[in-house]
Amino acid sequence: MENTNNLTHSGLQLLNTRRHFTSAYHREQVIKGEDEGGCGVTGFACSVPVAGRHIFQPSVQMHNRGNGKGGGIAAVGLDPETLGVTQEILDEDYLIQIAFLDEAARPQVEAQFITPVFRIDHAQRIPTLANWREEIPNLEVQPPEVWRYFVRVKPEVLQHFIQQHKLYGLPWRKVEDEFVAQNSYRLNQAYYASLGEKKAFVLSQGRNIIILKIVGYAEEAALYYNLLDFKAHVWIAHQRYPTRGRVWHPGGAHPFSALNVALVHNGDFANYFSVSEYLSQRHFFPQFLTDTEVAVLTFDLWNRLYGYPLEYVIESMAPTTERDFDLLPPEKQKIYRQLQSANIHGSPDGPWFFIIARNDPERKRYELIGITDTSMLRPQVFALHEGEVQLGLICSEKQAIDATLASLAAEDPRFCPVADLYWNARGGSHTDGGAFIFSLEARNGHRVLHCRDKFGNSKTVPWYQRPWDGTVLEVNLELDSESARLVKEGLADGRGEHLYSCIRERVPQWSYATFREVLELAVAEAAKNDEAKAAAINALTLLLDRRYDPGDKKRSHLIRLIMDVLTRIFRDTPALGQDAPGRYRRIDWDTRDALAAPHRPDAILILDAHGFPPEGEECDARFLCQAFGLGWKRFITYGYRGQRFLGCGLGPLTDEVRIDAYGSTGDYLASGIDGMEIQVHGNAQDQLGQIMKRGKLVVHGDVGQTFMYGAKGGEVYVLGNAAGRPFINAVGRPRAVINGTALDFLAESFMAGDPLNGGGFIIVNGLEYDARGRLKPQAAPYPGSNLFSLASGGAIYIRDPYNQIVDEQLNGGELAPLAEEDWNLILPYLQENERLFGISVEKDLLTVEGQARPPARVYRKVQAVKLAVLTQLEDSWE
Amino acid sequence: MSTAENALSIDSWSPGQAWEPVHTPSRFRNALSKHRVWRSESRCIKCGRCTEVCPQRVFTKAGSYLRRPKSYLCIGAAACQDKPYYCVAQCPAAALRVSLHPSYNALGDRRWTADLLLATWWQAEFGGLPAHDLEYRTGGSGGGFDRLRFIFPTRPPDFKLTHADISLELEMNRRRDGRPHITMGVPWYGGGMSFGSVSINTILSRVRAAQRFNSLMSTGEGGYPEHLIPYDNHVVTQVATGLFGVREETIQRVRMVEFKYAQGAKPGLGGHLLGDKVTPAVARMRESVTGMALFSPFPFHSVYSVEDHKKHLDWIKEINPRALVSVKVSTPTDVDMVAVGSYYAGAHVVQLDGSYGGTGAAPDIAKKNIAMPVEYAIPKVHQFLRAEGIREQVTLIASGGIRTAFDVAKAIALGADGVQLGTSELVALECLRCHNCESGRGCARGIATTDPELADLMTVEWGANRVSNLYHSWSWQLKEILRRLGLRSIRELVGRTDTLVHLDYFDRPVDDDIRRGA
Repeated sequence: MENTNNLTHSGLQLLNTRRHFTSAYHREQVIKGEDEGGCGVTGFACSVPVAGRHIFQPSVQMHNRGNGKGGGIAAVGLDPETLGVTQEILDEDYLIQIAFLDEAARPQVEAQFITPVFRIDHAQRIPTLANWREEIPNLEVQPPEVWRYFVRVKPEVLQHFIQQHKLYGLPWRKVEDEFVAQNSYRLNQAYYASLGEKKAFVLSQGRNIIILKIVGYAEEAALYYNLLDFKAHVWIAHQRYPTRGRVWHPGGAHPFSALNVALVHNGDFANYFSVSEYLSQRHFFPQFLTDTEVAVLTFDLWNRLYGYPLEYVIESMAPTTERDFDLLPPEKQKIYRQLQSANIHGSPDGPWFFIIARNDPERKRYELIGITDTSMLRPQVFALHEGEVQLGLICSEKQAIDATLASLAAEDPRFCPVADLYWNARGGSHTDGGAFIFSLEARNGHRVLHCRDKFGNSKTVPWYQRPWDGTVLEVNLELDSESARLVKEGLADGRGEHLYSCIRERVPQWSYATFREVLELAVAEAAKNDEAKAAAINALTLLLDRRYDPGDKKRSHLIRLIMDVLTRIFRDTPALGQDAPGRYRRIDWDTRDALAAPHRPDAILILDAHGFPPEGEECDARFLCQAFGLGWKRFITYGYRGQRFLGCGLGPLTDEVRIDAYGSTGDYLASGIDGMEIQVHGNAQDQLGQIMKRGKLVVHGDVGQTFMYGAKGGEVYVLGNAAGRPFINAVGRPRAVINGTALDFLAESFMAGDPLNGGGFIIVNGLEYDARGRLKPQAAPYPGSNLFSLASGGAIYIRDPYNQIVDEQLNGGELAPLAEEDWNLILPYLQENERLFGISVEKDLLTVEGQARPPARVYRKVQAVKLAVLTQLEDSWE
Repeated sequence: MSTAENALSIDSWSPGQAWEPVHTPSRFRNALSKHRVWRSESRCIKCGRCTEVCPQRVFTKAGSYLRRPKSYLCIGAAACQDKPYYCVAQCPAAALRVSLHPSYNALGDRRWTADLLLATWWQAEFGGLPAHDLEYRTGGSGGGFDRLRFIFPTRPPDFKLTHADISLELEMNRRRDGRPHITMGVPWYGGGMSFGSVSINTILSRVRAAQRFNSLMSTGEGGYPEHLIPYDNHVVTQVATGLFGVREETIQRVRMVEFKYAQGAKPGLGGHLLGDKVTPAVARMRESVTGMALFSPFPFHSVYSVEDHKKHLDWIKEINPRALVSVKVSTPTDVDMVAVGSYYAGAHVVQLDGSYGGTGAAPDIAKKNIAMPVEYAIPKVHQFLRAEGIREQVTLIASGGIRTAFDVAKAIALGADGVQLGTSELVALECLRCHNCESGRGCARGIATTDPELADLMTVEWGANRVSNLYHSWSWQLKEILRRLGLRSIRELVGRTDTLVHLDYFDRPVDDDIRRGA
């Protein structure tokens, strides 16, 4: 079709202007340049501009997700003054950043691709750190020189482009967008893709968006290009883990750019070639040969040229399948079916998680988007922080979110180090679509943050719960006030449970000041003797772990205040080796050499993990093994920033060991434990309890992916949800209570014998707490499919009073009514669950809509079906 | 003898000693053979002449009773008929006949030809190379190692070099990261075969041979039978995708932990053990359900990227601070990237598992069609690691279809540091390559079975000696190859592709039979 006027869709007309584009490489050469793995990704969007240094700490903490061979950051919603331009230029002009790998090439590049086509309103070399060799000693490859141009396409040039391609009547801006994109493509082709020795490439293009990347860690990019004080509304960062060690330029590092878009990616496509083919049929050609580049190209194609709304872009990337598809409304099914048939070959297959920062100038929005693949194979956590300043965060690990919040809160009291909500997206689902969008919309000169899922449903917190304003009032500890009496009496039981229940009762009416006063009094009390200290720690831990009505206060701020005082109690403990009374001793990274045998048999070691590396020979988990070797049995650990493997490596004889962990504990916690008890006071990360043999693991929050993979036994209690693939391949006799639910593939290939005969089982309660601390059933006790699929042993007991679980969710298992012996089997675990979390068997679990019901009308059993083909010879052994 | 007694029985060898071959004949009365020596009982006059002339001791007497001729020792009429000791000619009663054994034509397959099976059995019995014309170096697959030959200089480069000067030692930890060194006495070790896939007697036979040669043996993915505890220092425990039998305790026990990401015989599939073989003992070890087939997932559910992989390795290193870590991968086209990624993730050993291996339990469609042939993968990775500047920090192990000492030498000359064995050890235990490994009572030789009755067809003592004899013969052959090339250490052979020719591109006659010549 030569006559483009027949095409009515503006995007397709623009796409047609690319018809003469040729592939950047020979077809045979379009193979992935290198494998890369998952990587660390982090990003946040804030209603006020924040400085680049706040992406610094989370990036540092995700070093172990990269290898220093590629890092980058992107920012959207910039500050005009820092850039030396007016707000108008920032809003209207294209901001093009070009990396010159060969500085001598700049005049040539400018003469060919900048000056002839653009009106340059501002151009500058991005200032860099002069003495970078001293400041960033680990940086091996000098980052390229980067120039920044604020430009508009010259009207005559654009007019010529319009005439050339007969693009009459199209919005001027759309044509100009396409022109800029094509110009960048040509530049990259001439100075990057076509050359063996690369000379220059476009780092970022679009309005009000920048990208900088280097061969190093992401935060080193911020350091090198002086972005620490640079302010922006949206930041994303990426730590790359390319498999090859020798990388000399950052062309392959993330983020990758398309017009107005920056995308970082954690994962690896299995169908790179197919996606490249799909794109090349639509005149888009990869130039950097990484799968992240093709991802950003598909986004650009679908969003800018096809004009898909975000929902359709997400659907094209992560198709809704199986039962989730069937549960969509019919009109959506119709559209999605068409999207899938049109775009399935461009849909990335395999494990991936994208974070996208983009500017949507048409709707005057800055957006931060997180999309997970349909199978949720990469870790992902979302968080929302509401208040005077609003913040939305997306990271590959929760600890990176905590690090961002801590960094912000340290500087600005309006930020709380604890977010209001943390959650995982369920990829390709009918519930949230596996994607969340934080958009910053302009309202009355301010930016307002909205969080929505793929379908546009809002994620919010109650409006009436107000943040703590940061006021610190003097607390008179001497005064014999009502609070002082409450604390004294409350701690008299030695366990602090009385204090907890008193506070729980009164806290809805209290102000933040009263709450703080009580906490301060508890700290003062704790300093008196061991009994008071144990009681205070226990009371504060209950306040931290349990859910209750906070009244008009925010739970996140209460938690922050509780954590503050707990940390103070821990920090005020005498150091190990110190000649002081009491059973508590404290040790940290700086004093680690003082590690010695316990000073008394009932001694408790308080380990401040903050300074320890997250893994390796000197990590805190190994240090704990050494302490155990010296005779320590009781541990309180805190100050985590994602340190891994806590509890691993102690070996089999650990029945007397107990660890209480506070803070952002890391991956693989309790993996392989054999006898000990670990309590995690807060949310936990991924891969907990792998191959766990025996012992007890209690998580007062959510757990991440592949929880209890290959476990052999143990008792596990989880207050919240488990993310994807918990209990896969578990054998033996693991017994677990999950009070929330699981995303997908719960107990696939479960092989834990006969539950009534010593085997294992999982109890799923499907509950959640609302903002006032009340328990309520989740929308579905188990939302996904592949429940207990291909399992050959064990059972799942699921609280399903409304019979929502259907056979379609099973794959090889069968639903059965709860027998009396089943109830007798699970009751002790539910009672322990009640003791740990305060979830009453009678009042909460067996009560449905105010009515007490018999267990068999609340719980259902999912059991294994014996497959005839696999059991032929069974009789011959018996 | 029961299994437990087997494990405890004392053998004559003690640590520190060099293993000397112990004659360990077949468990069966009539060993399979290439030639058949037939004696007509009606004609035989029992003069005993044959027992006197035959230098191969085919004929033996017990008092005046003439035993059945041991055909498998016969070197055949072609090699013998001109000799003064040719029994057929010497027999005064013309009672003897020597011909090709009819079962010879039915034995073996392309990869493991009848000759290779018989030669391996011979080595396992005597600890040396067969005296007659059995082809002991290559199979008949027409590709892979079977088309590669060594070119030995006509005169040895170093006349003074003797076997005593030549070292076969292989250091497994070349990272210099503070973790202990493991120096193996031979450049091979036993590959993963789980309890469940093979019997405990098979496992113990292999590990005992590994101990005698200061080598290692991998447990495979089926737990750590307690019989192995005395051999902890020679055990590599496997962490594979099903995590069967993997516990902190088992990881802490060993000097090397092997991560099995994939098997060359069946990439993209996890291990599987069909219900037949999940006997009560196996189910107990794996804590699963008796009679239910066990399918390990592919891949690790916790590892979807190289950074997950590093975390996974870090975890094992945290649990056992003295262990080395080995990463076993199959050979996809980007195997070089995988190897480099494994190195940067902290692996000490990278193992490339090519497509020639796999027992009868691996599906044919996978064995024959997926992975890259290992002789391509080895040089690809070797060169890539060299270009990356890290070749000296990685121990590169090749596996999958290493059948002979020549295969070992070829793999090393292509760029590997050492190899891992599987099937060849089973052949030493008299495996027939009948391909019934997946079924519970399918193994006629009692090797790949956990059926108590079948497993006791073999004692550990016998098995350990058979495998040790094979190891002894291989050591001799490797040293002889090195001697002929004038190399003092197996290390010097790494990457020496110049010592090899490929028959597709070389049309002059090649003879690398080390039983002949200088």
